[in-house]
Amino acid sequence: MQPVLSAGMPAASPFLVAETIEKSYGGVQALRGVSIALHAGEVHGLVGANGAGKSTLIRILAGLVQPDSGRILLDAAATSIPTPHRATDLGMSFIHQELAFVPGMTVVQNIMLGLPKKSRLGMIDWPAIARDVAPVAKRVGITAPLFANVKGLSTAENWLINICRALIRKARLIVMDEPTASLSASESEKLFAIIEDLSRSGVAVLYVSHRLDEVLRLCHRVTAFRDGRSVAQIDKQELTRAALVQAIVGGSVERLARTATAVRQDEVALRVEDLARLPRVKGVSFALRRGEVLGIGGLVGAGRTELVRLIYGADRVDSGTMTLAGKPFAPRNPAAAVRAGLGLVPEERRAEGLVLTKSVAFNLQLANLAGIVRSPALPLIDYRRREASSLAAVRDLAIRTQSIETPVGRLSGGNQQKVVIGRWLLRVPKVLILDEPTRGVDIGARAEIHRLIRDLAVKGMAVLVISSEPDELPDLCDRVLVMAEGRIVRELAGDAVTRNAIIEASYAEGPTG
Amino acid sequence: MTATASTNRRLSPQAKTALGFFARYATILGLLAMVVAFSLLSPRAFPTLNNFTNVLNQASLAMIIAAGLTLAVVVGELDLSVGFAASLHGILVTGLIVANGLPIPLAILIVLVVGAVIGLVNGLIVTKIKVNSVIATLGVGTILTGLAFAYSAGVPIVAGVPEAFLQLSLGRWLYGVPNNIVVMVLVVGGLWLLVERTALGQEIQAVGGNPAAARLAGIDVDRIKILGFIISGVCAALTGILLASRLGSGTASAADSYLLTAFAAVFLGSATLRDGEFHVLGTLIGALIIAFGFNGLNIFGAPTYSQYILQGAILIIAVGLSSLGRSIAER
Repeated sequence: MQPVLSAGMPAASPFLVAETIEKSYGGVQALRGVSIALHAGEVHGLVGANGAGKSTLIRILAGLVQPDSGRILLDAAATSIPTPHRATDLGMSFIHQELAFVPGMTVVQNIMLGLPKKSRLGMIDWPAIARDVAPVAKRVGITAPLFANVKGLSTAENWLINICRALIRKARLIVMDEPTASLSASESEKLFAIIEDLSRSGVAVLYVSHRLDEVLRLCHRVTAFRDGRSVAQIDKQELTRAALVQAIVGGSVERLARTATAVRQDEVALRVEDLARLPRVKGVSFALRRGEVLGIGGLVGAGRTELVRLIYGADRVDSGTMTLAGKPFAPRNPAAAVRAGLGLVPEERRAEGLVLTKSVAFNLQLANLAGIVRSPALPLIDYRRREASSLAAVRDLAIRTQSIETPVGRLSGGNQQKVVIGRWLLRVPKVLILDEPTRGVDIGARAEIHRLIRDLAVKGMAVLVISSEPDELPDLCDRVLVMAEGRIVRELAGDAVTRNAIIEASYAEGPTG
Repeated sequence: MTATASTNRRLSPQAKTALGFFARYATILGLLAMVVAFSLLSPRAFPTLNNFTNVLNQASLAMIIAAGLTLAVVVGELDLSVGFAASLHGILVTGLIVANGLPIPLAILIVLVVGAVIGLVNGLIVTKIKVNSVIATLGVGTILTGLAFAYSAGVPIVAGVPEAFLQLSLGRWLYGVPNNIVVMVLVVGGLWLLVERTALGQEIQAVGGNPAAARLAGIDVDRIKILGFIISGVCAALTGILLASRLGSGTASAADSYLLTAFAAVFLGSATLRDGEFHVLGTLIGALIIAFGFNGLNIFGAPTYSQYILQGAILIIAVGLSSLGRSIAER
């Protein structure tokens, strides 16, 4: 490591240091010697593949788990963080991807949750508290009234509330885990401005993200993790995309070569005619052909996920019709859609894709149970077939797991996603829909998942992919539909499928009328 | 900063493994410890084949209703109607035989169907109208109590219960195994097979584990939940019938207390072998713990009220210890 001296940044010694931290869960070594040093007022990036150990380090800093060995120094004195409460006392604040809120409460109540409050005559003096909170809320850009219920607020506003909370607590360090994962571009911009403001006022931000552009733009220093080790600390002046990728992957990433599909793409698998469910989906028509990977691009909130839920029978359709392989298709519920030959890899894999406490094999076989019973008449599970089929899926998808009986909740994000995809590979649907297939997935696993998706198309499956990442669709798709405001605003095919074309169309105004 | 004072409460991996083991086997160890202790304290009365058969025979009814309830909780719901339903079924079966003069098998069949219908109603209220299962089944249970009183006019049906119906519960099978035990083994074994070894069982477990994921994986979640309630309802009917046969009468409220015993068995079972998951085998072990505990207290002449205190205490201690063990092991 190099002497820490860069322009525009305090060169003081770090206030928080974690040294040679090791941690194992069961037999799995999550951290094999990780070190990180955080300085006041810096935005410190933490990058690494899924399963590299980022979350484990955060959990240790948050007092949720204890390291097996190594030490933590705060202001050069050895300390320990036995509980989350202690972490808060030490000036650390954590903002996670899944934000925890008390839904029935007001903005100010959520900001003050668990904090000592001003009182008058034994009653909590909310007006006085609101007066104290208001300037901080203004600083982080909370526009909602402090006494509004948090229920209707957007994810972005929830982030702001959390940051406000951290500031009221006088946090010295705010840890942000994938902050922009569910924010729109403009919301992300606002967040970046706030992060820069925090940094100027001396608050350190530990910025955990897969989005390298953001890391490059925001961070003064980056620590990269790989396989449970901290492999590099990169300072601002050496921070380049190539350096980051190199540190994360440890080798060169091969660029996905587009394979030509063997199937002639003229047979329509799924036809959607004027499908609508107001207010989010306002009449969408398209045809998805066999052997094709069709992308749906657009901004968060453009109605893409809602459209997919309609196709999959998860929500009721207002109007419009569908045909599947030429036959009328109007699924009453997802079970009917699956029977007819659809499969879905949902956006929220932990909440909607997996039974986390159950094993890899259990989750893989969930849509394939008819395929592993002794006979249709005697539907007892044939454990030999279950094992053989699960092992084959684990091998084909290169799922990294101790065994097929390991609870799927213990796997890293990318491997969990492969399990959800694997479930459908075992069933082989006519149409597979993947909603944000590589969200929160590291570069290596992302390339593997892309290859898998292409392979499925080559074998004749019709694949529909939704992605908010402009880079993803050009890599993957033969054709891309761009949605905005509940409508398809542009169709791009062949060489026209480019990152810029998708972004440009996403911001374009929808057709009027 | 309390840098030096804060010693790390880290556990070695071995200690964690041991704790995890303890969390999963605590209930079984407790059962064994109890059996050993009672055997040592009362070597003549307790550890005899006769007494063990007797305990199992007594516990069979609770085991059947608890095994049924397990299906409802495995799909992620609660069924508070089972005790009240069993009371109604007891009255109904004796009434059909005595007052309506129906043949015994037909009466039993009708009552089992009624049990299924009650389960179906519970399931429909919970899945289609989306009423919380605690409220729905408590409401249905209360209505059933009212129906039981209405049907019997508050008077137990005692006179004229045929001997053949009494033999249902009092009779013995091959090698002198009481019928109750045979029925219990069939029910518990059948349900275990269903949940743990069949394709449908995998769907049942998925619905309990994560209904949203199960739904998107193409499982008809509502149907599975309704099935859980129906099985729970049929098992309640079975317990009600056997209890009426054992008591020789149909009495309102006779089976109400099975609700508590069944819940205790189910939750004790969730602390057994698996980390807080409900399962049929666990329920069986939970019911055994309660049965042997009661039996021991009986042998030592403890007053009846102490049984309730014991039941509440073991439940909290067993589930508490296992949950504590898990949370320490996961740190």
